[in-house]
Amino acid sequence: MNLISGIKLYIEKMCAESGPGMKIILLDKETTSIISMAFSQSDMLQREVYLFERLDSGRSNERLKYLKCIVFIRPTKQNIQLLANELRNPKYSAYYIYFSNIIPRTDIKYLAECDESESVREVKELYADYLCVNPNLFSLNMPNCMANLNWLPDALTRSMQGITAVLLSLKLNPVIRYRAGSQAAQLLAKMIYEQITKDSTLFDFRSNMDGSAPPLLLVLDRRDDPVTPLLHQWTYQAMVHELLQIKNNRVDLSDRPNVPKDFKELVLSGDQDEFYGTNMYANYGEIGATIKTLMEEFQRKANDQKKVESIADMKNFIESYPQFKKMSGTVQKHLCIIGELSGLSNKRNLFEVSELEQEIACKAEHSAQLQRIKKLIADERVTIEDALKLVALYALRYERHANCDTSSLLQIIKSRGGRAQIVPALIEYAGNHVRQGDLFNMVRITDAVKLTRNLIKGLKGVENVFTQHTPLLKETLEDIFKGRELDPVFPAINSELVPFRRPPQELVVFIIGGATYEEALAVHQLNNSGYKIILGGTTIHNSQSFINEVLTATNGIQFKHTKSMIKYCSTDNI
Amino acid sequence: MSSNPFDSDEDQGTASGEILEGFLCPICRADLKSIDVLTDHFARKHAEEEDTLKSVFNIFVKAKKKILNNFEDERNGAAAGSSSSSTAAGASSSANGNGADQRVLSNARSRFNVFNYMSKQQVGAECSHFEYFQSVRNPRLERYASETNKLIIRLHRLLKDLPTDSVQRKQHEQQTVAWLDGTSVKLCPSCAKSFHIARRQHHCRLCGGIMCNDCSKFLALENALQLASLSTSRSEPMQHMHQGDSAIRLCEHCLWLLDTRRDMHESRTCRPLLVQVYEQIRQLQKDVTPDLDMYLKIINSLHEGETIFTIADASALRGKIGQVAEAMDMRSKRILAIYCEPGSREESLKKAIRLSCIQAIKERMLSLPPLPNEAHIQQIQERKRMETEQRILTEQRMAMEAYERYGLGATTIQSGGGLESGTFAQGSDLQSINNWSAPQASTSTSKSSLDDPLIEQINIIKGYIKQARQDMNFEVVETLELNLRELQREVYERQRKSQNSAAASPEVEQQQS
Repeated sequence: MNLISGIKLYIEKMCAESGPGMKIILLDKETTSIISMAFSQSDMLQREVYLFERLDSGRSNERLKYLKCIVFIRPTKQNIQLLANELRNPKYSAYYIYFSNIIPRTDIKYLAECDESESVREVKELYADYLCVNPNLFSLNMPNCMANLNWLPDALTRSMQGITAVLLSLKLNPVIRYRAGSQAAQLLAKMIYEQITKDSTLFDFRSNMDGSAPPLLLVLDRRDDPVTPLLHQWTYQAMVHELLQIKNNRVDLSDRPNVPKDFKELVLSGDQDEFYGTNMYANYGEIGATIKTLMEEFQRKANDQKKVESIADMKNFIESYPQFKKMSGTVQKHLCIIGELSGLSNKRNLFEVSELEQEIACKAEHSAQLQRIKKLIADERVTIEDALKLVALYALRYERHANCDTSSLLQIIKSRGGRAQIVPALIEYAGNHVRQGDLFNMVRITDAVKLTRNLIKGLKGVENVFTQHTPLLKETLEDIFKGRELDPVFPAINSELVPFRRPPQELVVFIIGGATYEEALAVHQLNNSGYKIILGGTTIHNSQSFINEVLTATNGIQFKHTKSMIKYCSTDNI
Repeated sequence: MSSNPFDSDEDQGTASGEILEGFLCPICRADLKSIDVLTDHFARKHAEEEDTLKSVFNIFVKAKKKILNNFEDERNGAAAGSSSSSTAAGASSSANGNGADQRVLSNARSRFNVFNYMSKQQVGAECSHFEYFQSVRNPRLERYASETNKLIIRLHRLLKDLPTDSVQRKQHEQQTVAWLDGTSVKLCPSCAKSFHIARRQHHCRLCGGIMCNDCSKFLALENALQLASLSTSRSEPMQHMHQGDSAIRLCEHCLWLLDTRRDMHESRTCRPLLVQVYEQIRQLQKDVTPDLDMYLKIINSLHEGETIFTIADASALRGKIGQVAEAMDMRSKRILAIYCEPGSREESLKKAIRLSCIQAIKERMLSLPPLPNEAHIQQIQERKRMETEQRILTEQRMAMEAYERYGLGATTIQSGGGLESGTFAQGSDLQSINNWSAPQASTSTSKSSLDDPLIEQINIIKGYIKQARQDMNFEVVETLELNLRELQREVYERQRKSQNSAAASPEVEQQQS
C-alpha cells in the first residue's frame, strides 16, 4: 500500500509499453501534476521521454513523425475532443493512449472513428488519478469543494473518481462506511458504491480468498474536526506547509527577501530527496539537530575538497564531485527552508501562540485561557491571522460554555482590523450542532472507558507542550483496528461485505473538506506499528486554506447558530 | 515498395486479357462491391465447389492480408527483430494487448523490483479498450484501404503508358476510368454552384466523378508516379514530355485517400539523421551497461583481496568505459549540431537528448569508484593471506589441543595418521593458494606431470584467460579463473597423494620384507 509506487508503476508501464525510441508525452493540467509528484524530469528523460506537451494549451503545429507519443489524460469531454482533433491530424508516428480513469465506451468509439491514419497502438485505462503527496497520503487538489454547505457537483464527481482510482491502483474492493449524519459523506459513499457495482468486473480482485476481512473505505467529514487544521504544526512537512505552503511538492519562496536565486522554487519530494524523506515527520527541534550534523559533515567534506595539492587529490575531487554537488544542494536547500521557518517563528511569536493553541485544544480551563488569549491577541507581534485562529479555537471550544465571551474577543479582533466574520462562519461550518464524536473530550460520567483513558493521559503528563494535541482521526482509527462496533457512527453502505467483528486489514480514509499533515503524521505512526492505512482528502489544508474553504462553503447561507455574534457576521449571511 | 497491391493484380489481368476491378467472384466473375457480400455470395452460390472455395478463400485471405497489413507486417517484423535484442519491456509494445503482453509485463515488473527498490507492490488494475477500439476502427480502415488500393491500381494503369498527345491522353484516361455522364448534372456536387460556360464540368481522373474547376485538386505527376510505385527513372522521358500539365486532376476525396496513404507510409519509414544518431547513442548505452557492472565487481573483488582480477583489468575496463562515454558525448553533440528552426520543438527535443546523455554519463560513468592503489591492494592481499595462515595455524593448534586432551588415552596409529594427513591437507591447500600461478615449478613430480592431461588443461585455460583479458571479456575471465583454481587444486591433491603413496610404499615394502 504505497501510493507513490502505485503511480510510479503505472508510469513505468506506460513508458515500457511504447517500446524503445524517442517519445513525447501529451498531458493535461491535472495529469501533469500527477506525474510531477512521482517523477522528476530527469527520471522521465531516462525513460526516453524527451518532450512534454500540454494537450489543452500552447500547442505548436510542428510535425515530428519520428516520435512516439504517450497520451496520458483524464477522460473529460474537453480532453476527448482535443484528442480527437489530434488523431484526425496526427503529428507523431504512433499514439499510446492512457486514460486516468474509467471512460465511457461511446468516447472510445468516437476516438476510433477519428483515427483514420491508424496511428493509435494502445488505448487503456490506468488509474493514476490522484496526487500522491506521501506514500500514505493523497490529495485531489480541490481547495474548495463545497458551496452552501453542500457538494459542488464537479468536486463530488472528482472525489468519486479519485477514490475509485486509489482503490483500483491498490486493487481493493472495500466495505464502504461513511460518517453518519454528514450528507456530503453519505452522498459520496453512495456514488462510489454505484460506480463499483457498475464496473464490478474491474473490482473483482478475489482478495477474500484467504478469508481475511475485506478492506475498508471510510468517508469522513472535515466538519467533525475543525481544530486540527487551525493548530500550528511543528513537524517539518506540516510546518513548511503552514508557514510557506507546499503546492504539488513545491515550495515557492520567490516573494521572500534574502533568498538566493537558485532557491526561489524548491522541490520537496521524499522520494528524490533523502534528507526530506527521512525527516519530514521529525519535529522542529530534531530537524535543527539533524541539519547541524549534516552541515558538519558537509563542511568536513568541503574542507577535504579544498586541499587540492597533488594530482591525486585533484583526481579524487573530480571523481567524488557529483556526489559532493548533490549533497551541497540538499544541505543548502534545507538550510534555506529552516532559516525561513525559524525567522517566521520568532517574528510571529509562534512559540507562545502555539502553546496556547494546544492548551485550548486539549484542556478546559476557561477563565485562565480567556485571560491569556486577551493578552496575546492584543500583542502587536502576534499577527492578526494567528490572533484570529486563537479566537476561533476559543469559540469552538467554549461555544456552549456559560461564560463564553467570544464577542468581546471578536471586538478586539475587529479593532485590529481583522476579518471577524471568520469566527461565526467557522461555527456555522463546524460548530457543536454539526459535530459528532467528542472533539474536546467532553467526557460524560457514564463513559467509563473514556474516563479512565483521560485519567491515564492526565497522570502521564505532557511530554511536549507544542505537540499535546492528537487529531480526532487517530482515535477513530485506533477504534477501528481494535474491532469496536462501528455501525451507529459509521454505517456501511454495502453491508453484505461487512465481516463479523473483525478489523480490516487495509484502510483507506478520505476526508471531505481536506486532510492535514498532522493527520498524515498520525497515520504514519499507526502504519509504523503495523497497520495499513492510506489517508486522502479533497486537498491538504493549512490554516489559511482551511479558513478560505470555510468562508467559501458558508458564503451566502443564512446563519442560524451564531445569533450572539450577529454583528460580526458578513452582511450576506444575515 | 512492396506495399503496392498492383503486382498481384497484374497476373490476373494479363491472364484474362481483360481487366476487371472490384470485389470479383473468382468463379462467376461478378463484381460484388464489398468483402462481406463477396464471401457471403461465395458461400451460398459456390458451396458445392468446396475445395476450390477453400483454396480460393485462402488466396483471398492472403491477398487481403497482403494488401491491408503490409505496413503492419513491416512493423511487426521490425519489432520482432528489436525485441530479441532489446529489453523485455520493449517487446511489450509489439504485442498489441494480447496474452503475450501479460507475460512480458510480468517480466518487466520483476525488473522494477530489482532496480528501483520498490516494495512488492504490483501494478494496479488496468483495463484495455484497444480491442474495442480496433473493432470500430479497422472496418473503416479496411474500407479506406481497399478504396485506396483501387485508386492506386487505376493510377498505375493511367500512368503506365500515358500518351503524350493531349487528345490521346484524354481518350486514354477515359478508357481507364469511365467518366460519369455529365448531361444531367446541373450543379457541382461539392460546392453546389451551377455549371455554365464559365464554370465547366471537370472529371476526377480516378473515380470519374464530376466537379467544377474550383473544387478540383491536383496531384503532381511526380508524386503520382511515386504512389503508383513506378520508378521515376523508368518514366523520365514521359515526365519530360508532360512538363506542360504535369498534374492529374482529382476530386477532393480521392486526393485525401492518396494523401493519407502517403502520410502513413512516410510516418512509418521516416528516419532522419537525428533518429539514426540517437539510436547509436542508445546502442552504446546499452552495450556499456554490463561493463559498468563488471567494473564495480572487479573493484569490489580487488578490495576484498581476491586475486581473480588484476588492477590492469580494472584500468583497461575503465578506459573502455571512458571511450564509450566520449563516443556518447560526441554523438549527442552531433545531434545538437543538426540544423533546425530556432525555438521549435525539435530544438528542445535535441536539447533534452543532450541533457539526458550528459546525465547518463555523469551519473553512471563518471561516478564510478576510482582505481585502487596498487600498493594498497597488495597490502590487502597480504593481510588476507596472513589471516588465512593465522586461521590455519589456530585450527591446527586447536586440533592438536583436542588431540592431546582426548586422544592421549586411547591413541591409535590410525587416528594419529588421520590427523597428520588432515593437517598436511590444509598445508597443501595453503600452498596451492599461494603458488597457484606457478604450479609446474613446485616439486620433483613436476617432471612426470608435464604430460599430465590436467596440466595441459591448465595451460590451455591460461591461454584462454589471456585472450579473454585482451578482449576485455571479464565474465569469461572470472569463470575461467575459477576453473583454473579448481584444476590446480586437483593437481596438488594428486601430487600429494602420489607423494604420500611414494612415501608409504617403501614403508609397506619394509614391513613386508
